[in-house]
Amino acid sequence: MSDIKEISPNTLALFGIIGGLIGIYLSPYAPAAGSIGAICAVIWGAEAVRRVAKYGLGTGVPSIGQIALGMGIIAAMFGLAIVKDKILAGPIVSLITASVIGLIIGWFAQNVIKMKIPVMIRCMTEIAASGALIIIGYSASVAGNYEFNNIVNLVFDNGVILAVFWVGAVAMLHPFNACLGPDEKQQRLLYLAGSTGAITMALMGIAALMTLGLGGAITLVLGIILWLVFYKKFWDEVYKDAASVVGTGLIPKTEA
Amino acid sequence: MAVIDPTMLMNIFLIGISGTLICLAVHFIPVGGAPAAMAQATGIGTGTVELAAGSGLVGLITSSYMYAYEPAASMTLVMAAGAMGAAIMLASTMLAGGYIYAYGVAVPFASAQVKKDPITRERQDIYVSKGTQGQGIPTICFVSGVVGSGLGGAGGGLIYFVLMGIYSPLIAASAAAVAGVFTMGVFYVNSVIPSYGVGGTIEGVHDPKFRRVVPKDVLTSFVVSIICGVIAIMITGGMS
Repeated sequence: MSDIKEISPNTLALFGIIGGLIGIYLSPYAPAAGSIGAICAVIWGAEAVRRVAKYGLGTGVPSIGQIALGMGIIAAMFGLAIVKDKILAGPIVSLITASVIGLIIGWFAQNVIKMKIPVMIRCMTEIAASGALIIIGYSASVAGNYEFNNIVNLVFDNGVILAVFWVGAVAMLHPFNACLGPDEKQQRLLYLAGSTGAITMALMGIAALMTLGLGGAITLVLGIILWLVFYKKFWDEVYKDAASVVGTGLIPKTEA
Repeated sequence: MAVIDPTMLMNIFLIGISGTLICLAVHFIPVGGAPAAMAQATGIGTGTVELAAGSGLVGLITSSYMYAYEPAASMTLVMAAGAMGAAIMLASTMLAGGYIYAYGVAVPFASAQVKKDPITRERQDIYVSKGTQGQGIPTICFVSGVVGSGLGGAGGGLIYFVLMGIYSPLIAASAAAVAGVFTMGVFYVNSVIPSYGVGGTIEGVHDPKFRRVVPKDVLTSFVVSIICGVIAIMITGGMS
């Protein structure tokens, strides 16, 4: 099965963390960058969901997306609020807090609830961390920066946070939920994750039109362009993989 | 920051309790998952998280509505409002689902986990179709579901009440939004954790699985909610 070279989890984690943080830190200058950072985190998170959900959670893939954003939103609020004036530290504190919460929940899931999934602790940590980056990234592109009071005014009070929460969760859980199965491939999933992240970015652009005015149009247009690009890539992957499906006949009576 | 302050400790403890209530609630709700959607298992045909979070969030809406119009409301009143909202939401879901199972899918309501319904004393096993795990929503599951959603709604109301008490003096205008979003986060975490313990389907309080999984799930939820409580209190340090 693994004759196709897959991108290693460590590379993707680095891509998600560095890309996500760079995007968030650039968001005060270009709000659209926050969303692009969040797309990096979506791609990372979707791959982490893939690794843990492969084992079969018993509750469906969506549950893990919801817990990810649940942990992420708590950590994001904490990290952004606790740093007060040192707002530069906010996203990093959020990331660390999310990782710690994820680690604790992962440890409990593995050792107390006894889920017997070897990658549970690591994946839960990664999923929580990417959830926090997704929340901060998309919020930053709606609010214009990542300062807590500003996000409260422009994202929480008007209810945009619900869209960030839900669409962000779907962006993260949908790729594996849609691609899972015997012929699932990492490449295809990553492109789909890019496209769900980009369509979320377009939605955040609509919200940003309301909060930031014309500045939001850049997020909207860029989101739609990225979505078309990633969706075309995903489309090509689907066609490439579909051509290689062959009939295997009936299952043999004896195991080889 | 004085974390040793008894009021603060009490608030953290209350958030821990409310998370545990939400976790406990999930076990009462008859969750059938995908098999129930095909009428091959007892319960409502959707996932644990959807049902717990759905009923809990309606509870959150009703309790916040109560709190918004009666800011002097006592804790029990806010919790009761949450419990009512959540219970009504889940009861109507089960009623509508029951109509579809009875008149659309045409299956007799039967539980595969018990021989006799503990409430109506009707025999169950003879009505369970071969190869299935029961169908529809029998009386015990319905009652268990209403009780469970009530617990979940009360938990949601409690955490909202506690957080409003903490945040209102600091950020008057945005306290409801911040408290609501934080409650939502705690809610999702606490409805997914038990769903991993339950592992897909549970019929309610009479299911043998109930006794097996409740202790460890409740312990996990309590610890995680306490951590969330500490975080919720620490957030106030950054509010101005």
